[in-house]
Amino acid sequence: MKPSRPELPREFVAVHKRRRMIDAIAELSAEQGYEATKIADIVRRAGVARKTLYDNFDGKEDLFLAAFDLYLGEVRKEVEDACDATGGAWQQRIESGLAAFLRCVAERPAAARMCMIEALSATPAASTRYDAAVREFVEMLKQNAPAGALPETIEETLVGGVSWILNQQIRRGEATRAADLLPELSEFILSPYHGVENSPVKAGRRK
Amino acid sequence: MDRLPRGRHGLSPEFVAQNQRERLIAGLTSALYEVGYQKTTVSLIGQRAAVSKSDFYKHFESKDDCFVAAYDAAIDRIRECVVAACDQHEDEEWAERVRDAIVSLVTLLQKDPALAGIALVEGLRAGRGVYDRYQAAVESFIPYLHRGAPPAPDGVAVPEATDEAVVGGIASLLGRRVLAGEAEQLEQLVPAVLEFALTPYLGSAEARRIVSAG
Repeated sequence: MKPSRPELPREFVAVHKRRRMIDAIAELSAEQGYEATKIADIVRRAGVARKTLYDNFDGKEDLFLAAFDLYLGEVRKEVEDACDATGGAWQQRIESGLAAFLRCVAERPAAARMCMIEALSATPAASTRYDAAVREFVEMLKQNAPAGALPETIEETLVGGVSWILNQQIRRGEATRAADLLPELSEFILSPYHGVENSPVKAGRRK
Repeated sequence: MDRLPRGRHGLSPEFVAQNQRERLIAGLTSALYEVGYQKTTVSLIGQRAAVSKSDFYKHFESKDDCFVAAYDAAIDRIRECVVAACDQHEDEEWAERVRDAIVSLVTLLQKDPALAGIALVEGLRAGRGVYDRYQAAVESFIPYLHRGAPPAPDGVAVPEATDEAVVGGIASLLGRRVLAGEAEQLEQLVPAVLEFALTPYLGSAEARRIVSAG
């Protein structure tokens, strides 16, 4: 006898549920903060059973960290792909990377809020993840920017400044318009390098 | 409720010695720096401040309540310092005023790492209520940078977002260095921070020239 509807492969369903739990904790953390978010809220939002959550994750923190890692991985890939796809001068690579980052923020505002704001105060492990992610982006910028007689803190400061602006946007509920910031932020990131000797990029990008 | 007397803003060392509430605030600030937000308990604060737990609760409803007061006090102290530097050098060129303000700020933070810790590190990491305060505090410093600034080299005004990014970037850099345990070397960052602050207004070449000349 034919089943009344085709069954989806179990693995597909499992992955899909995992994603729903991840997106749920992002949304809830963005809405009410990590602390106030309970397992009951998460499973309700994700439309899964409590058991399903605990089959996949040890608990709230484990889920939060998995969500962070997943979103960071997605952003990292989009930024790297955008840089790689851009031929031409280092300025264009940086601008493409920045544009990709802003697109990610605009398309996934709850995830952006979760990773860029809530992670800092969620748990010590989460804020450690955050710090590591910042270092990654600082390194990415260093590798694409020209070498020259600039203070070695410049990339760290620039990333801090861009984060600041984005955090303001996110807090005002304007994350979906992050791409509007591209011209100003691009100018901001590139201006310290104007006039720096156009030597080749510092080192090949790490794969 | 009585208006706060003028001059109470800011927390000079003399005040700390006299007043229980201020001692608790100082106690929390130093406990935070030593053991971080999670491990700072009302007991620990009380110990540091030489104030009993029951007396603590005469002044504050909770650790968070005390934290907010401590945070505000820290920002007030920092603001006093920056405003004093700006006022003192009112007649100077804008770039020199910015230099003086940055030097004063960094000197203050280096001398008092616990102050730097609460203002720049814990403010971000202690949860929603304080995060909003951190944002508001950083924003409130933008006018000090902006006032008297020349228009950008090509005559076009520097966008508002750029002002914010400069102040936010500086706060972020200083905070990360304090987090990394480098509070006592903050002064080394002054040339880099100054160049970063001046660049959007004067262009990178002029900013570098001024920094090296100083």
